[in-house]
Amino acid sequence: MADLIDYLQFVLAPQALNGLSLGVAVVLMALGLTIIFGLLDVINMAHGEFYAMGAFLSLTLAGLGVGFWALLVLVPLLMLPIGWLAERWLIARVFHSRDRHILTLLLTFGLGMILEDLLKLIYGPNTLRPENPIEGGTEILGMFLPNYRLFLIGFGLALIAAVWLVVFRTGLGAMVRAAAFDKDMASSLGVPVRRVYAGTFAFGVALAGLAGVLLAPIYSVFPTMGRDFILMAFTVVIVGGMGSIQGAVIAGLLLTQVQALSSLYISPVWSDPLVFGIMVLVLMVRPQGLFGRLGHA
Amino acid sequence: MTKTTLLGTAALILLGLAGGASAAEPIRIGVVTPLSGTYAPIGQQVRWGLELATKEANAAGGIMGRQIELLFEDEEANPAVATQKAEKLFQVNKVDFLTGTVNSGSTLAVGQLAERNGRLIATTVSFSDAITTDKCSPNVFRVNARAGQQSAALAEWLAKDKPKAKVYYLGPDYEMGRSTVAAFKAAAEKTGAQSTGEVFAPLGSKDYSQYFGQLRAARPSVLYTSTAGNDTVRLLTQMGEYGLLRNLTIVGASGTVTAQNIGAIGKAADGFVTGVGYSAELATPENKAFVAAFRKAYDTAPDLYGADSYGLIGFFKAAVEKAGGTDTDALRKAMEGLSWNTPQGTKTMRAGDHQAVQDMYAVRISSDGTNNRFDVVGTVPGDAAIGPDLCTRF
Repeated sequence: MADLIDYLQFVLAPQALNGLSLGVAVVLMALGLTIIFGLLDVINMAHGEFYAMGAFLSLTLAGLGVGFWALLVLVPLLMLPIGWLAERWLIARVFHSRDRHILTLLLTFGLGMILEDLLKLIYGPNTLRPENPIEGGTEILGMFLPNYRLFLIGFGLALIAAVWLVVFRTGLGAMVRAAAFDKDMASSLGVPVRRVYAGTFAFGVALAGLAGVLLAPIYSVFPTMGRDFILMAFTVVIVGGMGSIQGAVIAGLLLTQVQALSSLYISPVWSDPLVFGIMVLVLMVRPQGLFGRLGHA
Repeated sequence: MTKTTLLGTAALILLGLAGGASAAEPIRIGVVTPLSGTYAPIGQQVRWGLELATKEANAAGGIMGRQIELLFEDEEANPAVATQKAEKLFQVNKVDFLTGTVNSGSTLAVGQLAERNGRLIATTVSFSDAITTDKCSPNVFRVNARAGQQSAALAEWLAKDKPKAKVYYLGPDYEMGRSTVAAFKAAAEKTGAQSTGEVFAPLGSKDYSQYFGQLRAARPSVLYTSTAGNDTVRLLTQMGEYGLLRNLTIVGASGTVTAQNIGAIGKAADGFVTGVGYSAELATPENKAFVAAFRKAYDTAPDLYGADSYGLIGFFKAAVEKAGGTDTDALRKAMEGLSWNTPQGTKTMRAGDHQAVQDMYAVRISSDGTNNRFDVVGTVPGDAAIGPDLCTRF
């Protein structure tokens, strides 16, 4: 019995908590992705590079003396116009084409490659890392957790709730959902559809940038960092149901727990095939995802 | 006669004149090394080391009155590109000798090419034991220390500094990671260390915290790791985050903490120990002179790769002088068993497997976050670190 409690306390529970902090990180990435997909019907392949941009931006600003708490506000604000312009100048041009899915996918994929190389040119290929803004750790029931991870879990969950509130409980969110549901009808009722699209894309990009700021102290900063989470984030969006916020949250937390706990029993190398296997299964049994109602974000 | 052939003839005549004017044909050394891509910083050190040694040798009269000429080609750390560029250097430029390959795959591939062309090559960087054990070649020499020598040196230091240590192993899950862990584990257990467990994390892991539970449960006093590049940054900073760096000695492969990633690791690199064939902090007069000359020329300190590449020119010069020319068979015979001086001390080329025997060092990093030093904390004599000759081909 004592052994079992020891096992729970020292192995299983810390592993689940570590999984939770990774899960919040993945959900933060998937959130912007699923909003852009659900509301714009665009698969943003450059999402990982926007995340990297956020991280590099925070590094540069921190070098100029901006504090961590200011970065949490400043970086997303700086990412907004970048996302807005990317939508207006690039995506809007092919948005109404018949091959929208393929064209936007290729377009954002190319954009991602350009952004990655730009980061490489500006900052060089070597790894950089900002200082950990919240040092130290806390003992909870005999488990040691770094304070920054606790902050990440708390802040991430609050952020997810805030996004949900904006999209589902405000007039602005209603306008956005209306434009996504039927753009012609929304437009005739006075919703500025073009601006709503650009704004939504910018919002998703800002979320990616914020994820970059939050994760930089843990995962370090380098030009190809965008590839780290993007596969997992896409998987979460697909399993949760394309465009569904609650789906992304639940699938994100669930899949990272599967990864964390499975790596206790099987070689960690197998955790990726396991997660992608689940994705394939979901696609076979429930192609719209766990919470997906295609076209109804 | 067309304009181009006319020009060509003119150029040929000029070349002939120039050739006739100088005392003798230069000795050409081809250098196939990564000058772009991920390994470019290593290629840069290789180039600097070779150029500095060549400049010094040429100023002192060259080799038997002939100047040394280096011809560089970018191999992009890709064996397929490396063989193309090496073929060109052998066939078109008629180089007498070839060096520079970094990636172990490139060294093996270019070694086969050298056999077909009847020429000799040497690597100054590649670690893989295979190059001078089961895949050894009569035409390939290695002047730097191989992985086995590095782990033997580290194990030796560990046995002295932390006798009967309880060691946990964490490696990246691919060929390099598994072979380095296996090699160090064998060496450490032989010198009395006790293994408490091992885990292999996928290459490019984001989060190592998922392995910390097992690590903590094993209660080791020493962690051995052979992660590289960015993986090391994450592993060490996340261990710091979880308070695991206290009361734990971290040791690792020589490529685990380098000049490229130490900036990002910062304070977490403090106390890291590795076994390696060179440190710029070596306190011998030869090394001090070498480091000063290197700093003067390139405004940065030499690393392992720069020093081993610098030493290669001395090796080649001594061998050509002993052989009385660059004939392949005579040169090979001259190189086998040859002892020569380098900033790292005297090296001897073992005849049986073409592996250089040299003193090995345990090097400890001290870092306060911005300033890093690589201090030599132990020396292992060459004979103790070299291991048996496992080459059966010649």
